Amino acid sequence: MKSLDEILQNNTNGIYYGSRVLLPFHFTALKIVIENDIITDFSIREKGAYVNEYSDYTEIYFMDYPNFEANISKYENIKMIIVEKGKDIFDFANHRKIAIRPEGNHILSIKELDENTIFIE
Amino acid sequence: MINKNLVVLIILIFALFFSQENLLCANEKLSDSTTSAEISIQNNSEEHTLPELFMVLPFVVLLLMIATGPLFYHHFWEKYYPLISILLGLITVLYYLFFLHDTHSLLHTASEYLSFIALLSSLFVASGGILIKVDKKATPWLNAGILLFGSVIANIIGTTGASMLLIRPFIKINKDRIKPYHIIFFIFLVSNIGGCLTPIGDPPLFLGYLRGVRFFLVITEVWYIWLPTILVVTAIFIIIDSRNKSTAEQDVTYSGKIEFKGMRNVFYLVVIIVSVFIDPAVMSWVPKLNPLPIGIREIIMFSMVVIAYKTADEYVLKSNEFNFEPIKEVAYLFVGIFATMIPALQLISHEANVLGEQLTPGIFYWATGLLSAFLDNAPTYLNFLSAAMGKFGMDVNLPSEVLKFERLHPIYISAISVAAVFFGAMTYIGNGPNFMVKSISERSGIKMPSFFGYVIKYSFPILIPIFTIVWLVFYFGKV
Repeated sequence: MKSLDEILQNNTNGIYYGSRVLLPFHFTALKIVIENDIITDFSIREKGAYVNEYSDYTEIYFMDYPNFEANISKYENIKMIIVEKGKDIFDFANHRKIAIRPEGNHILSIKELDENTIFIE
Repeated sequence: MINKNLVVLIILIFALFFSQENLLCANEKLSDSTTSAEISIQNNSEEHTLPELFMVLPFVVLLLMIATGPLFYHHFWEKYYPLISILLGLITVLYYLFFLHDTHSLLHTASEYLSFIALLSSLFVASGGILIKVDKKATPWLNAGILLFGSVIANIIGTTGASMLLIRPFIKINKDRIKPYHIIFFIFLVSNIGGCLTPIGDPPLFLGYLRGVRFFLVITEVWYIWLPTILVVTAIFIIIDSRNKSTAEQDVTYSGKIEFKGMRNVFYLVVIIVSVFIDPAVMSWVPKLNPLPIGIREIIMFSMVVIAYKTADEYVLKSNEFNFEPIKEVAYLFVGIFATMIPALQLISHEANVLGEQLTPGIFYWATGLLSAFLDNAPTYLNFLSAAMGKFGMDVNLPSEVLKFERLHPIYISAISVAAVFFGAMTYIGNGPNFMVKSISERSGIKMPSFFGYVIKYSFPILIPIFTIVWLVFYFGKV
């Protein structure tokens, strides 16, 4: 399993199908912003975002966005605050802000959020 | 869904305008046989039959849904609000077309809506291509300075322009300590109260200017109300913000630099501001484009939307995470609000005319204010200006009488202007930029209060006491 840093350095992509996003690393999600939705509760299967971890990837279902490709505009991202698996979740230095966005053909780009983009933890 | 709604909306507006002549003929023929309320009102030089009281229902339903949708049925509302807004608007449109045979009110409202959305969308897109980076430590005094600066420039580039320009740097400076109250005070001051000094500041004042109110009248009659109000709201903000002990990591150093990107878009902003005056009512050489629902001004503004977006710096758009959703939300919700509020405004205007003798500046202040909190403040302003002038036997449609009115009774114009602008801060729907600021904040990860939360936790305890003091000091007991 690659680390988040390796993924960011190598520009490794995730994939998506409909509302299902697959990211090639393990993490704990703390906050996700998609459109005007601020999701912090990941325990509900019916709404918001639901996270599953598998041996090679982590998947997120965006329950309210059956085809979220249509909801993300040209200059917007889905913004996430995550902590990589194995890192101390209580140390804020380990809270990483990443941006994912559908690029078409099921390819999902994964980038560290740049300093200009506002994302409040 | 949204694109289909947009097509329906555009077709509806244009069909209305291009059918104007036929419908006006029908209007004349059928005006004698109306079975609706028999009372007529004088509004914008045309006789209209008053709508039935129940026709206020679509407006009430829309307001209730705007208030409760994001709270109780968020995803249904998010998906269907364009359709709901258009359908409720259509009920009013069809009632006016087929029961009242009154196309004038519809055309007038559609024209005002297009002017409103042209100004808002052009300012939104042009300012979305500007990036301001402020590398300073957030303090209550720096924040207060930004709010005061925003309140002043709102009078030059409008409350929408000032809000769009400053909201992102304001959030960014405060990124380690931001709370919803930061955004709410921003809405109070920059998106509303600040823009009370000039006709560019807020649409209702501009409507007054088009009717003949002198450009500088508002400054001379309002600055001594504007200044203490701004200072008191800012002082409350400083007190609250001083108690916010969240701070950035101690080892962060600040260069103190202010960076500015997107100068081209500043030029577009200037073009938009100048175009505000390109109106046949202000400059006689400007042609009217009848029967088109828009004028030269709106064409320039809509052109600026396209040009500003197409020529904007990609880096700036990415940094601002620019998207059309906030302006789309305003466009859809306000098409419903503009349409459904026609009966409400006409009934209010009628009542104000009937009760004219008993209405004091204080009553005009509260009536204009409370309605501006929930209706669009531009038509509310105009209807109450009309009623106030009617009290003295003057006609709002005659610029010479408007001029005479403002010289003889400036306190009425002051009360109506102050209330229309100030009370726009009372709710998210009180003024166009409120929604945009809310949407940008939520997309930045800030959990904003609900419609009721905003009103109960912030507007009532902070604004109502201040607005009451304004009334007591400046309008109470005046006739």
